[in-house]
Amino acid sequence: MLPVKKSFFQNLKEVIYGMAAHDMSRYALRTRASMEHLFILITMGDMLGIPILPPYYSLRLLPYVVPQISTWKRRLLREKDISDAMF
Amino acid sequence: MSLKTLFEQNPERRYVMFGGKGGLGKTTFSAATAYWLASQGKKVLVFSVDPQASLSDIFQRDIFGKGPVKIMDNLWAQEIDADQHIRQYQNEIRQKILDMYGFDKVPDEIEQYIQAASAEPAMEESAIFDAVVDIVVEGSYDYYIYDLVPLGHALYYLSMAKVYDEWINKITHLREEMREYEEMVSRLKREKETEEDHILSELQYIRSRINASSRILTDKQKTAFFFVIIPEEMILVDTQKAAGLFAKFDVPILGYLVNRLIPRELLQQEIPAYLRNRIEMQSRYVKQIEKMFENQVVSFVPELERDVTGLPMIEKLAGIMYED
Repeated sequence: MLPVKKSFFQNLKEVIYGMAAHDMSRYALRTRASMEHLFILITMGDMLGIPILPPYYSLRLLPYVVPQISTWKRRLLREKDISDAMF
Repeated sequence: MSLKTLFEQNPERRYVMFGGKGGLGKTTFSAATAYWLASQGKKVLVFSVDPQASLSDIFQRDIFGKGPVKIMDNLWAQEIDADQHIRQYQNEIRQKILDMYGFDKVPDEIEQYIQAASAEPAMEESAIFDAVVDIVVEGSYDYYIYDLVPLGHALYYLSMAKVYDEWINKITHLREEMREYEEMVSRLKREKETEEDHILSELQYIRSRINASSRILTDKQKTAFFFVIIPEEMILVDTQKAAGLFAKFDVPILGYLVNRLIPRELLQQEIPAYLRNRIEMQSRYVKQIEKMFENQVVSFVPELERDVTGLPMIEKLAGIMYED
């Protein structure tokens, strides 16, 4: 199938989005990701050896955070360096 | 007021709990009360939240981990097997992970966490807590008799409901904030709808479970909490302390049952000084009890000629506790 050619207005819409809102939404997503990691910390903290109440119900949430576990651990356990300030 | 009139005048109090220090007769009174209510034609479930439950012993039937077991007409008894409950729960979690991501096996790291979490001491209590919610939410019995754990544990159990509730409130709040950011992004990108947040709905489910259980424990209309005591100084002091704490958690304390009274009639007979002294000591403490708890003492139960196990002895005790 041929790729559908975007209309002029479609293009214009994306250009305006890129200029006006892309940064904002990128920033919102970053904040959202930090909160996600904070959330996993307060529910699954036991994984890093931080005892958090209560394990019974936090297990119920485990299936939903499986994909994020490895990035979360990497982020929380990594050493801080100068590049943190830059990005 | 006698126990019998208390039950007759408050038919809406469906959740009956016996608490007190270990070994004073909580299980015995639970069983006798269940027996009496059942013989009055009410459908009754007596269940134990104690990992070292002794309902099996008193009914002389192995009911541990077997769900509600019918003891006689209208009477069911249940002992929760926390380990079994935990194992089942772990398997549900594993299965969910496999289904959600199409894995062949649960990733090692996740598996380790599941096992480590289950080894924690709080796990057993939480599992029982959760199992109790299942039992009472189902709601098909007229009466639920809780054979509670000894005092310290019972307080822990009560405070757990509060801690859980606060914990859930905090993370639900965080989750909702995250949701706002997500919605903002989709508005900026002009997407029609955001994906449903499964974690948020899961949290709301957990909250509803916890609330269901703590609501029952503190329900002034539907719950009757009784303390079991014996006429001895240490017991009185501890019980008074505990009663204060329970009241702080809004547990509706309806009365005190005094157990193990040596019959005073014995004083008419030739009895050794040892027994005479014990009877006199008990009378002293009974006076103190009457002063301490005034009209809240609902029953005085004598020491029987043998321990209470098996239905005939339970019937005898029920007869004493619920006589007119």
